[in-house]
Amino acid sequence: MKFIFDTNLVGKGLLAAAAFSMVACATAQPPKELVDAREAYEKSEHGKAREYNPAALHDAKSALDKAEASFEEDPESENTRDEAYVALRQAQRAEVEASTLAWQARAEKAKSEATQAQAKAMERAQTDLASARKQLETEKAAREAAEAKAKDMLAKLAAANAAAVKEEPRGTVITLAGGVLFASNKSQLLPGAQTSLAQIAEAIKSQDDKKVLIEGHTDSRGSDATNQALSKARADSVASFLISNGVPQDRVTTAGLGPSRPVADNATPEGRANNRRVEIVIQQLEAK
Amino acid sequence: MKIANMGVVAGIGLLAVACASGPEPTERLSSAQASIRAAKEVGAANVPQAQLHAQLAEEQVTQATKLIEDGENERAEFLLRRASADAELALALAREATQAKQTQAAEAIVNPQAGAPSPSLQATNQ
Repeated sequence: MKFIFDTNLVGKGLLAAAAFSMVACATAQPPKELVDAREAYEKSEHGKAREYNPAALHDAKSALDKAEASFEEDPESENTRDEAYVALRQAQRAEVEASTLAWQARAEKAKSEATQAQAKAMERAQTDLASARKQLETEKAAREAAEAKAKDMLAKLAAANAAAVKEEPRGTVITLAGGVLFASNKSQLLPGAQTSLAQIAEAIKSQDDKKVLIEGHTDSRGSDATNQALSKARADSVASFLISNGVPQDRVTTAGLGPSRPVADNATPEGRANNRRVEIVIQQLEAK
Repeated sequence: MKIANMGVVAGIGLLAVACASGPEPTERLSSAQASIRAAKEVGAANVPQAQLHAQLAEEQVTQATKLIEDGENERAEFLLRRASADAELALALAREATQAKQTQAAEAIVNPQAGAPSPSLQATNQ
């Protein structure tokens, strides 16, 4: 410590210190904060901030400039490090805020897409509803047409005299008394029967959703084989008449049932007369 | 030699005066505290990076409060500026995380199958 009191030495020391300080100035390393701040600014300048957050990027630049100025003025000072620290955070914040805005933009896009999709779905639902309604209307119209046709048939059948019409589970059953249609033991139609049968043919020929089953029945007198053959022949006879009067052949079938299904007592003449009959069964065609 | 001694003494005196100089940065203090509160309200605690910067801000505020008690207002002021910068970054990070979640939810509605590619969250190291 003695040399400190030597004026000469003090002078030399001051010179050395001055020289040292100049050297320090020329080669001063920027503090870590400043290096980080430069890097962070560089990053946000080339990141999302440029597009989404230019104002914050500008603020970050101002802060960095301030830190650089402080560094030039006094590289070692605490102030330089503080300014650089603040600049670093500002640059980081600019980028984070830009990222937030980018996320926001994506959310907006997603929301508008969702709205569009919803509108499209709504439109589709409305189209579906309209076509379903149209189909319902078509079906309703078809049903009404069929009902009208059936009604028409029943009206015509009611107009045909000598025919009893009944609704049964197997269909609409028209019963024709055997005595009106045929002479005893014959399967030839009597001329008087033809008017009624023509009216029946007229009523059912346009019922394209129906099939026609014609059943011949007899009373119990005579052999079963004879009755069976006779009932079948009578049914066929009625069938050919209906077909020749416009009922489509492919919808007509016949059956000879003989005495197997009496509707009245075979012990009385009236009962037997009732059992001798032809039944025309009009049935719904199975849906294809 | 006496002159040199006096210079040293004067220098120390000047330094002490410099440190103590300036008014108490009360405004900066409350502003930094407000920013920290805001960051916490936005949920900084649930976002690790945001939590980190909120913590830094709090530590710096504590330090600055001590400096103010010691009369070192100028130094305290700078520390508070650091604190505010950290708190605001914490706030921004917390907001970003919230927005990212909302965006992903919105995109999941539009496109439920495809996992939306996430724009990488900003990496902020100190």
